[in-house]
Amino acid sequence: MSLKIQTPPPHGGKLVDLVIRDIDKAVSMAAGAVEFDIRPTRSIIDGSPIRNVYREVMSIAYGFFSPLEGFMTRNEVESVLKERRLLSGWLFPFPIIFDITEDELRKLNVKEGDRLLLRLKGQPFAILDIEEVWRFNPKDIADRTFGTPERNPEVVRRRFDEKHPGWLIYRSMGGVALAGKVHVINEPIFKDPYNRFWYPPAKSREEIQRRGWRTVIAHQTRNVPHTGHEHLMKNAAFMGDIEPCHGILVNAIIGAKRLGDFVDEAILEGHEAISKYGYISPRRHMVTMTLWDMRYGNPLESLLHGIIRQNMGCTHHMFGRDHAAVGDYYDPYSTQILWERGIPSFGLTAPPYDLDKGLKIRPVNIKEFWYCPKCGEIAYSDTCGHADVAQRFSGSFIRGLIAEGIEPPPIIFRPEVYRVIVKWWRVYNYPFVNRRYLELKERELEVDLKPMEVSSRR
Amino acid sequence: MPYKIAVILDKSRIERIRGTPVEKEVKDLYGGYLKVIELTVPDEIAQRILKEFPRARIDARGFIEETPVAFKRELFEVIVKLKSTGPEVFGELLKPDRLGKIKETAAKEDEYLPPPNVAYCG
Repeated sequence: MSLKIQTPPPHGGKLVDLVIRDIDKAVSMAAGAVEFDIRPTRSIIDGSPIRNVYREVMSIAYGFFSPLEGFMTRNEVESVLKERRLLSGWLFPFPIIFDITEDELRKLNVKEGDRLLLRLKGQPFAILDIEEVWRFNPKDIADRTFGTPERNPEVVRRRFDEKHPGWLIYRSMGGVALAGKVHVINEPIFKDPYNRFWYPPAKSREEIQRRGWRTVIAHQTRNVPHTGHEHLMKNAAFMGDIEPCHGILVNAIIGAKRLGDFVDEAILEGHEAISKYGYISPRRHMVTMTLWDMRYGNPLESLLHGIIRQNMGCTHHMFGRDHAAVGDYYDPYSTQILWERGIPSFGLTAPPYDLDKGLKIRPVNIKEFWYCPKCGEIAYSDTCGHADVAQRFSGSFIRGLIAEGIEPPPIIFRPEVYRVIVKWWRVYNYPFVNRRYLELKERELEVDLKPMEVSSRR
Repeated sequence: MPYKIAVILDKSRIERIRGTPVEKEVKDLYGGYLKVIELTVPDEIAQRILKEFPRARIDARGFIEETPVAFKRELFEVIVKLKSTGPEVFGELLKPDRLGKIKETAAKEDEYLPPPNVAYCG
């Protein structure tokens, strides 16, 4: 058997493509459907937008979530919650639910077998063929999605609550689910700068092939990169097969963010600056994005990341400390526990690559990089013997510097990346996500839609 | 468990503590590119800060971060006033009138922070 690693197949064997590109076909599919204007999920605590289901429609239809083809039925959600598998048996970490309220259901007056026309920004966007209408208790789904210390003692350290943004998304849902297959019938047009980073799985695989990359390591991001991230990328990429990985694919999660996070535009262009200014050669680096309102589910989120990036054609995925985590709900190394030995209490009795209908992407579990004043360099935590004096990187610390108007020193933050932050700071009068940005982002979204005439039902 | 909080020192802040006992506590960070003072924060004070400023969090290093800029500025002013980095700093900082002033300024911070004057190299 050759030691050379090849591009893995999509999760489930085949990339999902549920985008209708023929306008006549799209119009005829929408004919007679009942209209529904997509609206954001708003926090039950303060009413701020925390999710827009259009991002899930996009990620399903363009194949990021392959083999998932639509919103889940009750049985499928139960299967996911019990053993993190779709009804087809393929691993999948999160319930994907199209939720509405009882009041909306009454107004829509739809049932199994009906077709819903989903409108976005006032235009036809997608259709949902209703296979099942079912009801759920949002708090129960939220608790079971993320786990509890009693049920999942391997990784859950404390009970989830409304301070956890992912738990809050499920907790704030409407309680009625419309399950069924979706099709995008009016392809959204990405605005600048998002358009430069839109590589759905089929296009990403083409690009990887065009660049001649046989091995590609994925880097998950929801942050503007500091040099700790850069060292993680550079060093993790040494893990390839007979040579280091040919490519580093940065995949930013774009969607509703927490207050205080960097804005999406700065995240994308900040990563772009890393190769634009040669800190990682552009021959070896590409920046992409996925639409998803992060659930911050640490090990579970890492499973979704593995699925997305395998679908995009990556052979490896780097996972660091506190992967996609917020607060101290999970053990900081939960993701690494999953990818090293599995989490039986979530139904994952072995690592995702050793399970039937599991993943083919290879994890590269990395601890952390820190600045060591004794070594006088940025060092890997398991290699450097000076833990007592090590100075760790902290995104929060860097955000604090930036807020105080202090340019972070180049050893922890590239000046060109800082200038990207300042560029968007001037646009929004604020360097981070605040309530105004959240509302603006919700209103404007990342996309526009072309007008489309259809004979739907109101 | 005690936590820490760091105050970054730029040139003007270093001048203001020169010759005081606080100067001896200045630490180099990241190869001397940054100068900071680190204060130990008793657990009950840390919990109070987290409660008063909901966006504040403890980072992976055990430092209280993401407090409002106004909080850090006032913290530095108290350090200068008391010429100390001891626990009495927090007693002064969290006095109702001072805290009220911090919160009032911090509320405006959520809407606007003046961008620095650097050129975009895009």
